[in-house]
Amino acid sequence: MMSTLTAPAPNEASGPITAIEPLSPREARLERAARVLRWAAISNVLLALLTGVGVLLAAAQVDPGVFPTLHDVFLSRYVGASDLALALVILLLFLNMSALLVVMVGVLAREIWAIPALWLLVLLNVSGVVALGFAFGAVTAIAAVWAGVITGRDLQAFRFNPVMLKELRGRMRGVRAFAVMSVYLTLMSTFAMLLYLIYNSIGRGTGSAAAGELGRVLFVGVVGIELLLIVFIAPAFTAGAITGERERQTYDLLRTTLLTSPSFVTGKLESALGYILLLLLAGIPLQSIAFLFGGVSEVEVLLSFVILMITAITLGTIGIYFSAVMAKTLRASVRSYSVILGVMFIVPVVLSVIISLVRDILFVQLNVLLSPALEALLDYTEALLTALNPVTTALRTQELLVNQQIVGFWRATLSSDGSTIPMVSPWITFAIIYLTVSALLIVLAIRRTRAVEV
Amino acid sequence: MAEELIIETHELVKSFGKFTAVKGLSLAVPVGSIYGFVGPNGAGKTTTMRMLTTLTRPSNGTAWVAGHSVTSEPRAVRRSIGYMPDEFGVYDDMRVWEYLDFFAACYDIPENERKRLINDLLELVDLTHRRDDMVDKLSRGLKQRLSLARTLAHDPQVLILDEPASGLDPRARVEIRELLVELASMGKTIFFSTHILADVSEICTHIGIVEAGEIIAQGSMEEMRAQLQPHREITVTVRDEETAQKVMALMQNRDLVIGVTELKPQGGRARVRIDFTGDDDGVADLSQALNNEGIAILGFAEEIKDLETMFMSVTKGIVS
Repeated sequence: MMSTLTAPAPNEASGPITAIEPLSPREARLERAARVLRWAAISNVLLALLTGVGVLLAAAQVDPGVFPTLHDVFLSRYVGASDLALALVILLLFLNMSALLVVMVGVLAREIWAIPALWLLVLLNVSGVVALGFAFGAVTAIAAVWAGVITGRDLQAFRFNPVMLKELRGRMRGVRAFAVMSVYLTLMSTFAMLLYLIYNSIGRGTGSAAAGELGRVLFVGVVGIELLLIVFIAPAFTAGAITGERERQTYDLLRTTLLTSPSFVTGKLESALGYILLLLLAGIPLQSIAFLFGGVSEVEVLLSFVILMITAITLGTIGIYFSAVMAKTLRASVRSYSVILGVMFIVPVVLSVIISLVRDILFVQLNVLLSPALEALLDYTEALLTALNPVTTALRTQELLVNQQIVGFWRATLSSDGSTIPMVSPWITFAIIYLTVSALLIVLAIRRTRAVEV
Repeated sequence: MAEELIIETHELVKSFGKFTAVKGLSLAVPVGSIYGFVGPNGAGKTTTMRMLTTLTRPSNGTAWVAGHSVTSEPRAVRRSIGYMPDEFGVYDDMRVWEYLDFFAACYDIPENERKRLINDLLELVDLTHRRDDMVDKLSRGLKQRLSLARTLAHDPQVLILDEPASGLDPRARVEIRELLVELASMGKTIFFSTHILADVSEICTHIGIVEAGEIIAQGSMEEMRAQLQPHREITVTVRDEETAQKVMALMQNRDLVIGVTELKPQGGRARVRIDFTGDDDGVADLSQALNNEGIAILGFAEEIKDLETMFMSVTKGIVS
């Protein structure tokens, strides 16, 4: 039964993603560059795990000198607490891994953006090494320079993705794209107007403070609607991307061409994300109305855009992944939406409710004093759960920003013994988790589409 | 075989679970030929083609296309073939030139060469005037022509076409046929499957007959004709049994006659079949000999076998 419902299983002999049979010196060169980047990505994960072990050892207080030592070695120029420094190292390593994987896919797919992305990665890591003393950045920097030198010999290889061009040509043709955009903006404006009217009719007084609050309500409302929109349309665009080709019987045509699966998958993803980006950009003037009333800072607008875009990327890749795995669009959509609903919404919400209940019962009702370690564990788990969901991430990030002017790192005070633990604003954790998952899903989707039917 | 082969399979097997679609198929397609791959529906034609085009992995056996193995060098194989499946894959929201442009880009043809290439291809399949039409609005015949243009985008050595003429009206079918002959004259090898025998006898230089996943006969058209119909069959109709015996006795010992059989009487008349390997003069001599003996002959007819009967006589109708 399942064999008719799912796509053909990948061939066991298909090997790692970079093992595409090269037909020309150009393809062989790209393969080589991709291999360098892949190994750098793997090294980053290993280094992150090693650092994690170090942190655990330090936290278990095997040796009180471990934290400062690790700090000195891995992030020597960073002035701040040693525990914070190590958290930063791990986050940076994961960020590097995602970036390397994405650039690797870009190089294999011969995307035009891969070259600037490669050198940007070098630049960022070199400045990380210089400014922060981020020693591990050297791994990524060296690998990226190496790959940059290999690819630099044949810049002609990089081009616009044919699949993306084809999809965007079709999507933007005629009045449909124009109509969709108009309807979208009309709905958004009506919604903003309604918010304004409702808020005014409640009548919270006058003055700049009240205006600022109105501005904030409008901003949160518009971003909330955009987030909702992304959650619904990002997987819808991509879940049919590969299965749709199968259903139209064009998939076989594509597979007999020389189009590589990295090109195919990235092209599909780019066209979906390109359209979502267009919708988000079109919504910026509406968001900016909030500036008229005050009460919203540029940082908030920027962070909201980052969160929206990362959500779109991740939901898009989840759609692509299931589109590569399943045989039918309907099944791919159902799978994508249920995974998104489960992992991003139900599980984090249910777990955080349980945790706050436990906390409430223990602390308030029973007056039990927890050990600092257990309390820290609860705090971190809660922070992680917050970062799993874009809505809670956005709300919590905004709360920290508005109430405490915190964008990045901060310290939370434990109620049990008054000591402090390092915390990260949820958007950072969110970005790293989501980008890592996206990068891995893209790689898996590529492997899946590359497999020859058995 | 002295001829250079461009598609060669050896004991190719494909099974889906317990069902074996292709059972040890060995093909030999010479360079520059128009090879008709003939067989009833369900004989394993499409499965074989999917293996040759690297879309499906063979369960067993080897297959080589243009000197590359379909299992270990699939991309090299893809570069040397143009494949047209029996279902035309349509993209909505796409114009004719965009369709060709997209596939040319998939074959890694640089952008500055594509415009000229598209014009050439459209001219070749006579679609220049439909350049800006939407692909999904084209008739089936035009789609098929566009599809053929697509397979030529990267100038492949071999065209593998699955039922190129199915579902077309007679006129479109003739046009496709003419196009195939033209492509063959440009030096392409054309390997196509069909169950329409008229297509085969009109244009093919080579033919392979497949049934139930096995090749029953293959070779050049001349070889096949000789192989399938090695001799002439002449039916002599006479008045009664006695005369028939006389005819048989007379014919039995003549040169070039390899068999004489008495057929079932039809309409009260006795019939004798003579299997004869001689030429036209020989046939005339036979009839002369019978006349000389004073045998009253009611009918003397040579049965000309067409491809259809040849086909029927070799395929055992296992599938249908």
